Amino acid sequence: MRAVLTGERGLMHIDARTLPNGTVLEGDLCIVGAGAAGITIAREWIGAKQTVLLLEGGGLTYEAAMQDLYRGEIVGLPYFPLEAARLHYFGGTTGHWAGFCSTFDAIDFEVRDWVPDSGWPLTRADLDPFYRRAQPVLQLGPYDYAAESWHRRDPAMIALPLDARAVWTKMWQFSPPARFGTLYRDEIFAAPNVRLYTHANVCEIEANDSLAAVQGLRVRQLDGKELQVRARHYVLACCSIQNARLLLASNARAPAGLGNGHDLVGRYFMEHLEIPSGRVALAPAAARRGMAMYEWTQGVTKARAELALAPAVQRARRILNATVSLEPGAPDSVAQSTFQAITPDVLAAERDSAAQGRSAPAVTAAPPAAERFFNAMTRQEQAPNPRSRISLGAERDALGMPRVRLDWQLTDLDRRSFAQFYDALGREFGRSGVGRVQVLDWVRSANPGWPKTLSGGWHHMGTTRMHGDPRRGVVDPDCRVHGLANLSIAGASVFPTAGAVNPTLTLVALSLRLSDELKRRLV
Amino acid sequence: MMNRRDFLLGAASAVALPGASGDLYTLAHPTLLAVLGTDAVHAIGQAYRARVPTERERGRLAALVRAGHVQSDFVAGRTVVIHGWVLSVTEARQCALFSLANVA
Repeated sequence: MRAVLTGERGLMHIDARTLPNGTVLEGDLCIVGAGAAGITIAREWIGAKQTVLLLEGGGLTYEAAMQDLYRGEIVGLPYFPLEAARLHYFGGTTGHWAGFCSTFDAIDFEVRDWVPDSGWPLTRADLDPFYRRAQPVLQLGPYDYAAESWHRRDPAMIALPLDARAVWTKMWQFSPPARFGTLYRDEIFAAPNVRLYTHANVCEIEANDSLAAVQGLRVRQLDGKELQVRARHYVLACCSIQNARLLLASNARAPAGLGNGHDLVGRYFMEHLEIPSGRVALAPAAARRGMAMYEWTQGVTKARAELALAPAVQRARRILNATVSLEPGAPDSVAQSTFQAITPDVLAAERDSAAQGRSAPAVTAAPPAAERFFNAMTRQEQAPNPRSRISLGAERDALGMPRVRLDWQLTDLDRRSFAQFYDALGREFGRSGVGRVQVLDWVRSANPGWPKTLSGGWHHMGTTRMHGDPRRGVVDPDCRVHGLANLSIAGASVFPTAGAVNPTLTLVALSLRLSDELKRRLV
Repeated sequence: MMNRRDFLLGAASAVALPGASGDLYTLAHPTLLAVLGTDAVHAIGQAYRARVPTERERGRLAALVRAGHVQSDFVAGRTVVIHGWVLSVTEARQCALFSLANVA
């Protein structure tokens, strides 16, 4: 095997394209995918006795040919181009994320009888220690999401005087944002026991004869060259769409794909529904208190608040969880949806900026022309839905892998929750005298369809969901694929429900938890 | 345009308000004015009167406003949505009175 060392002596990065056809890579733990989840796990193993193989399909920076491997077909509700929604190089989608972080709420982990297929096999308390450890990984502040604490740190941050039994103040923290590809590159390169292979696209997971364990991986190059990978344990950390795609395409011995004995792989694809839904007008007394608590400037703001309905209200109204950001806007303005505001061109510009070491220009939602009027941007969880799914299409990519087909589907519960949310918000704003809430027409409409502003947050979740029962989940509570002793999955694909907040903090916390579990088994 | 005095006289002659302790001018000036402004409140009032034919008349509206309470409406869910705004029924009636009075 010929390895290529880059940078200083001892730095271990190998471009897999330089390896001879048929090369076998061997290690103890193989992590497929070097994004937030994969790099988080790899860092946990630095200095261990075990050898870690970290396989990245792309290179160290953006390459059009690699990115094209993520292209797919969209057959359901309109969606953002898949090849623009995820980044396929070292560091993964942290290369263009905005750094929004918050914790899932306790209710997000519970079985809710009005939300089909809800409930995690762990609680918020189980995840708390890992959330705490995830904070520095993402360059966040203290593990403290209490509005009162942030007010003590900055007295200008004053929460609106709403009754928390109805509407509570949900805090967020903001990563700089941490770009894992540059932030952790030297650390990974220098790790004596971690070998990073770039341009190492896994095309098949090979199971043993009894389909009880993985015996190897097949890596393919654009020139047709193939490599073999052998490890004691494997972790898929390729993002929700690619994790499902790889399992489904690994069908040499299991026609429906690996881990798919109950037709669950790829199903329950979830997004966060990010749609402008209303406006808020503050009463003069509330406006005089200032809205510093709710403001956000990219790269500057450390923490801010959004508004969410109390769990008791969610239960009483039998609706999904959501949060609302308040963005300054003129009295007659309406915010753009996420997909409208951030086009593929905007993403490309930001990616180029980051690649050249420049910070993206600071972005604020709107000039503070109107101090009392705010656009309300909702970020709502999507109800788990087996009809919302990733499957394999007929077309193949340059490596011969079937491209994915995304069939994004929503339910009546998704739709109804918006109207209920704004009714509850409007009532509490009125009761408290804080102001009044205006609901956009589409929210109130009896038409069950979705507005043209329907949008997600590029948060792909749920395609290999976690459940103790193999008939209801692809992975078990330890994130191991049911029935496959040495294959685990990291990332948001294991989320049984989506929560209302961006997934990165939670997926990093789950990755730390998975790493601990693997150490108990492999060390 | 009707001024404040005309409005008060007109309202008083239109209906005998039970326990008329409230100032009609105040009744017809919801706190919503400070939140949304005159034009929006006037438009909301017109829309309310168009939507509820039985509450188009000044005296009837004044009586209903006297009997209502904005905060209690929000607590009890006695709300209406007009031009998208989630409003207490009582303050919607105040807006209707305001639009009749046109005493901005």
